Amino acid sequence: MKRSEIRRQLRIRARNIIVQRDRRFIVNIEKKDLERVMRRLMRMNNYTHLSTITALEVDSEIELIYHVAFTDALVSVKVRTSKDEPVLPSIVDLIPGAALYEREIHDLFGVEFEGNPDLSPLLLPDGWPEGVYPLRKWWSPDRILSKLGGRR
Amino acid sequence: MTFEIPFGPQHPALEEPINFMFEINEERVVSVKPRLGYVHRGIEKIAESRNYQQLVYLSERICGICSFAHALCYSQVVEELLGLEVPDRAKFIRTILAEMERIQNHYLWLGLTAKEMGFETLFMYAWRDRETIIEMLDMISGKRVNYGMTTIGGVRRDITESMMGRIEESLNHLEARAEYYTKVCTRDPSILRRTVGVGILRPREARALCAVGPTARASGIARDVRVDEPYAAYGEIPFKVVTYRGCDVASRMYVRIDEIKESIKIIRYALKNMPEGPIRVKAPMRVPEGEAISRVEAPRGENLHFLKSNGSNKPERWKIRAPTLANLLSLCRMLIGVNLADIPVVIAGIDPCIACAERIALVDAETRKCEVWDGKDLWRYANEWYRKRYGL
Repeated sequence: MKRSEIRRQLRIRARNIIVQRDRRFIVNIEKKDLERVMRRLMRMNNYTHLSTITALEVDSEIELIYHVAFTDALVSVKVRTSKDEPVLPSIVDLIPGAALYEREIHDLFGVEFEGNPDLSPLLLPDGWPEGVYPLRKWWSPDRILSKLGGRR
Repeated sequence: MTFEIPFGPQHPALEEPINFMFEINEERVVSVKPRLGYVHRGIEKIAESRNYQQLVYLSERICGICSFAHALCYSQVVEELLGLEVPDRAKFIRTILAEMERIQNHYLWLGLTAKEMGFETLFMYAWRDRETIIEMLDMISGKRVNYGMTTIGGVRRDITESMMGRIEESLNHLEARAEYYTKVCTRDPSILRRTVGVGILRPREARALCAVGPTARASGIARDVRVDEPYAAYGEIPFKVVTYRGCDVASRMYVRIDEIKESIKIIRYALKNMPEGPIRVKAPMRVPEGEAISRVEAPRGENLHFLKSNGSNKPERWKIRAPTLANLLSLCRMLIGVNLADIPVVIAGIDPCIACAERIALVDAETRKCEVWDGKDLWRYANEWYRKRYGL
């Protein structure tokens, strides 16, 4: 796959597409373009599947990386949302296989996905306190422990 | 009348407890809801306070069966950030180990699936043969599981000339056994009755639900990281991707048995063409800033590790996606419409590290009467149902 092909198919600016190395592309997009870009990616003829969604903290924002695997490349679609009110459109209608990945991120990072019909806890136990997102940096193991009333 | 059946999470034999909430009408499954997290060990959180060398060992403990695949995936992702080029001999040894792990995993799977079908002889046979490959892994690495073979920059032990003869011998034995299992699994009426047409996953559904590994390949999707993105020495070794179009448990069985045969061929080729040279290069403790992704075809399917480094000796974020999570939604799709008696076999079909449920509560929706079943009860129920119905 070539950079120009991604650019043409996704209709986004060239400076938003980074070629990391052979077979690795990073596509930086805005929140509002997520659905459109994912839909176009899916329509590219050799589309294989959504490998997973990674969430991580970058400064005051949460970055989500949608790893889309093609037979000859891996495209990482990056989108950011604010940490205080993390909301993103859900892509479950487009890719039903994303349901569990979105639930996992909802559990561990507290990102809301608009349009996902089921965001009930997948990994965290019932009765887990509101607002404790274990994979956020602020929630160190000690803080989580004291919140849950446990001791080392 | 609709029943709600919580299935799991405790079961004694296997790792990875999981809970399924089944809604059953008559004896058919109407809906399935999975619930994970009973063994969520917070490895991604722990990783942020460990250095890169320690994480090699942690990565190996993500999964007890595909430990090598995880360690390999992790080593590759760190090597990419470091810009390390692994020696060719190490790449071949990695390939050999990865394929040996695939063989032992598939034999394990075959045995467990046979046990779910009530075919205990086949279970014993498959596990006996698995012992052959485990002994080879023990000989090479010194351990039966969690081999500790791969490390950042190469592998820790070499495969010597004297080992090769013994490996060849055991491969010949395993190949003959794989042929035998093909014969048994394609002809035995009780296996066919329990697997053909059971747990259907159509190719379109497999694509939409992002299925990976043998589960996808049994639905006719030739998706294999070893071909799509060759790592280790796979780019230099000829092999074919096994696919079947049956979309059922039988196809998943044939895919795995044929993969055992392919793996044997890969190991033979790799042993014959293994280049001479060093097996590892020295790796620094600090990893430069950056991010990388590595993918490996674990025995159960695509395994993805994402690593972001902040320039220190500890990672900023390490994301792991194991194949079972990717196949879980496909499993839920397969389970819809199947008979209560077929649940164990269908669940075993994706090789999810869970094959038997410890405790099942049958709740009568009208009278709220609750029956609690354990894995044995379900197993007994399943086998008796087939015995009464088909005289198997």
